[in-house]
Amino acid sequence: MLTKTITVALVGNPNAGKSTLFNALSGLRQRVGNYPGVTVEMKKGQFTVGGVAVDLIDLPGTYSLAARSPDEMVAVDLLLGRRPEERRPDVVLSIVDASNLDRHLYLTSQLLGLGEPVVLAVNMMDVAEAQGIKVDCARLSRELGIPVVPIQANRGVGLDVLTKALLAAAKGGVAPLGPSFPIEFEKEVAALQTELGGDVPGFLTRRLLLDVGGYVEQWLVGTHGGGLRAHLEDARRRLAAAGCPVPAVEARVRYGWVRPVVAAAVAKPAERPVTWTDRLDKVLTHRVWGTLVFLALMFVIFQAIFVGAKPMMDTLDGVREIAAKAVERVMPPGPLRGLLADGVIKGVGSVIVFLPQIMILFGFIAVLEDCGYMARAAFLMDRLMSRCGLSGKSFIPMLSSVACAVPGIMATRVIENRRDRLATILVAPLMSCSARLPVYTLLIAAFLRDGYPGWVPGLTLFAMYMIGFTIAPLVALVLKRTLLKGGTPVFVMELPEYKRPTVRGVARRMGEAGYAFLRRAGTVILASMILIWALLYFPHTDPTGTPYEERIEAAEKKLEGSETKAKEARDAGEAVPEEVEKAAAEAEAEKNTLGGEWKRGSVLGQAGRALEPAFEPVGWDWRIGMAVIASFPAREVFVGTLGLLYDVGEVDPKALGDDADEKGQGLKAAVRKEWAGDPVRGPYHTAVALSVMVFIALCMQCASTLAVIRRETKSLAWPAFTFAYMTVLAYLGALVTFQVGRLIADLV
Amino acid sequence: MLLPLDMLRAGEWAEVEEVTGQPGWVGRLAELGIRQGCRLQVVQPGSPCLLNISGCRLCLRPGDCSQILVRPVDGVPTAC
Repeated sequence: MLTKTITVALVGNPNAGKSTLFNALSGLRQRVGNYPGVTVEMKKGQFTVGGVAVDLIDLPGTYSLAARSPDEMVAVDLLLGRRPEERRPDVVLSIVDASNLDRHLYLTSQLLGLGEPVVLAVNMMDVAEAQGIKVDCARLSRELGIPVVPIQANRGVGLDVLTKALLAAAKGGVAPLGPSFPIEFEKEVAALQTELGGDVPGFLTRRLLLDVGGYVEQWLVGTHGGGLRAHLEDARRRLAAAGCPVPAVEARVRYGWVRPVVAAAVAKPAERPVTWTDRLDKVLTHRVWGTLVFLALMFVIFQAIFVGAKPMMDTLDGVREIAAKAVERVMPPGPLRGLLADGVIKGVGSVIVFLPQIMILFGFIAVLEDCGYMARAAFLMDRLMSRCGLSGKSFIPMLSSVACAVPGIMATRVIENRRDRLATILVAPLMSCSARLPVYTLLIAAFLRDGYPGWVPGLTLFAMYMIGFTIAPLVALVLKRTLLKGGTPVFVMELPEYKRPTVRGVARRMGEAGYAFLRRAGTVILASMILIWALLYFPHTDPTGTPYEERIEAAEKKLEGSETKAKEARDAGEAVPEEVEKAAAEAEAEKNTLGGEWKRGSVLGQAGRALEPAFEPVGWDWRIGMAVIASFPAREVFVGTLGLLYDVGEVDPKALGDDADEKGQGLKAAVRKEWAGDPVRGPYHTAVALSVMVFIALCMQCASTLAVIRRETKSLAWPAFTFAYMTVLAYLGALVTFQVGRLIADLV
Repeated sequence: MLLPLDMLRAGEWAEVEEVTGQPGWVGRLAELGIRQGCRLQVVQPGSPCLLNISGCRLCLRPGDCSQILVRPVDGVPTAC
C-alpha cells in the first residue's frame, strides 16, 4: 500500500534530453495533461520509488523562466503551485547537458529561486567525455548546494541514484539559495512587493521587474492598473542609473554566478575536438550540398508515404468493403442499416484508410527530429520562408500538409513564435493534400486528356499542386502583415548534436499520432459523416410512399436473376439470350436511376437545387454544387457523390486511374457526357472542370483539419476564420477560372 | 573597431560588444549565450547565419528588433 505521493516537475533546455529522461522514468504510465487556455501540452507520468508514488510532470523545454506568452506562463505557474489542476511540485528536477554546462546552468540558477528543493541531473556524460570534457559531479554539488546526479538517460544509466535523490529531496530537502542580485535591485523588489501585497509570490515580483514587456508585466499591469506601470518604469530607470540595467543585470548576475562553478567542477580540453556533428554539418548545412540532401530526403519521404502506405491502405479499404457488405447482408433494409453501412462504415472507414500514411509520416518526422536533422532543415529553408514572413520552422509542417494537413498542423508544435505558428496553421490546409488527388484525376481524365497533347494532363495536375504552393505563402504574407502583425521575431535556434534515434522513441511517436488520429475519426468525423448521410438519406420514400431501398432491392434481385440466367447459359456453352442481357441492363439502369432519384429528392439534393443561383457564376449545375456541398466534411466524398448523382452507382476513387475499371470509366464517361451535353455550359465544359478543381484545391473541405485547428489553437474562432477565408478564396478562384475559361473558349 | 555581426566572414572569431534592440529579445539572446563579452565564431555567414558559441551551434537571423555589434579577435580562444 502506497502511503504518499510526491510531485516532481522536470525542467530543462530543449535538447537536454528531457523527453528521453521522462520516458525512461515513467515508461508507459503516462498521459497528456491539458490546460485550459493554452496550446501547450504537458505530459504526466508515474513511477514508484521506495514505496512512494511519484507524479512526474514534463514541462515544455525552455531556456529560461522569463515568460513571454500565456503558454510559457503555465510552466512558471505550475512550478509555483499556482495552477488549480496540479499540486505544487515537491521537488524540481533540472536536467542539463554535460557538454554544455555553462549555458544550461542559466536555467538551473533561475529554478533555485522558486523556493523548492532542486535536484540536478547531468545528462549525456558519455558525449561530454568523448569531447574530453570531465564533469566532477561531487564538486558541482558542493558549489551549487544541491544534489547532483550524473546520468545517461538514453541508456538508463544513473536513474536509480536519481530517483533516490528525488525522494530524499522531497523528504528533507531545503530550498537552495540562488545567485544574489545587487542590493539596489533587491531594494526595488522589496518596494514593488509592498505595492503588490502578499498575493504575488516574490519570484514573480522579480520577474515583473526583470522581464520588460513580459507576460508577468502584462498580467499585473492589467490587474493593478497604470500606477504599477509608472512605478515599474521609475524603478527600471533608477536601476539603470545605478549601473544595473534590466534585463542585462540578470544575464550578468547569473552567468557571473555560473562561471566560477563551472570553472571549479569542469575540466575542458584547451581546444575543442572536431566532432562528428561538425563533420556532418559541413555537408548537411551547406547551401548547395545540404539543400540537395534535403530535397533527396523529402523525395524519399513522400515516395514512402504514397507508395509504402498503399498495401496497407488497400487492405484497410478491403476490410471496410467487406464490413459494409456484411452489414448489408445481415440487416434488413432501413434507416439503421443505411446509417451503419453508408454512414459509419463507409464514411468513417474512408477516413481511417489514411492511418498508414499518417503513421509513416510521423515515423519519419520522429526520426528526423530525434537525430537532430530537423533543425538543419529549418536552417536551410529559413531564407526561402523569410520571404513570406515566416521562419524555417514553418517549412516541414507545410510540406507535410501535401500528404495530409492534419499531421502537418500537428507538426507546427515545433514553432515557438505564436504568430508564426498560427500563420502556418492557417495556411497549411491550402497545400494540396492526398484527398484532393482523386478529384483531380477524375476531372483531368474526363476533360483534359482526349483531344489534347500528351503533356496537358500532367501539366494540369502540376498546376493544381502549384496553386497551393503559391497561394499558401501569399496568404501567410498577408496574414503576417494584417491580422498577425508584429515585428519580425529574431529567429534563433540551436542546432543540437546528432544523436542516434531509438526504436522505442520513434515507435512511441508513431503510436501517439495514430491514436490521436483514430480518436478523432471516432468522434468528429463520425458525427459529420452521420450528418451528411442523413441529409442524403432522408426522405427515403418515393412519392407513393414506398421506401427507395425496397425498390432498389427489387431491382437488384432482378439483376441477380438475369445474371444467374446468363451464367447458366454460359456454363452450358450456349449464347446468352438477348432478352436476358437486356433485362440485366434494364435492371442495372433502374437501380442506378432509383439511386439518383433518391439523392435528388433528399434534403441535400433539394438544398443543392435551391442554391443553384449561387453556383451559376462559377459554372456549376445543382448536381456539381451538391457534390461540392456534400464533400465539406471530407473532400474524399466528392467523387463518390458524383457517382451517385450520375446514376452509375458507387465508385471506388482509386480505380479512376485504372482504365480497365468499368465503373471508373462509366463515371468519367457519364460526367463527360452530361457536362458537354448541357445546353448552357456544354461549350465550356473544360472551364467547368477547371473551376471545380480550383475550388477543391482552395476550399477547406475537411472536418478533421478544422477539428485539429481547434485543438491546436484552443479556440473556435481560428477554425471558423480558416473555413471562411478558404471558402471565399475558393469561390473567387472558381469564379475567375470559369469566367476566364469561358472567355477563352468563346475566342477560340 | 565595432562591426555588425553579419559583416563577419566564415571562420572569423569575435567578441560581442553590444546587443541592442527590444529588451525582450536582448534577454532571449542572453539566455542563449549571446551577450556582452562572449566570444563567438561565424561558421557560415549570411542570413540566417550559423554561429559557434562555446561549442554550441546557433542559427540566427537578427531581424529588425535587435542588432549585435562585435569586435573581431584573432585566433581561437579557449573558452568564453
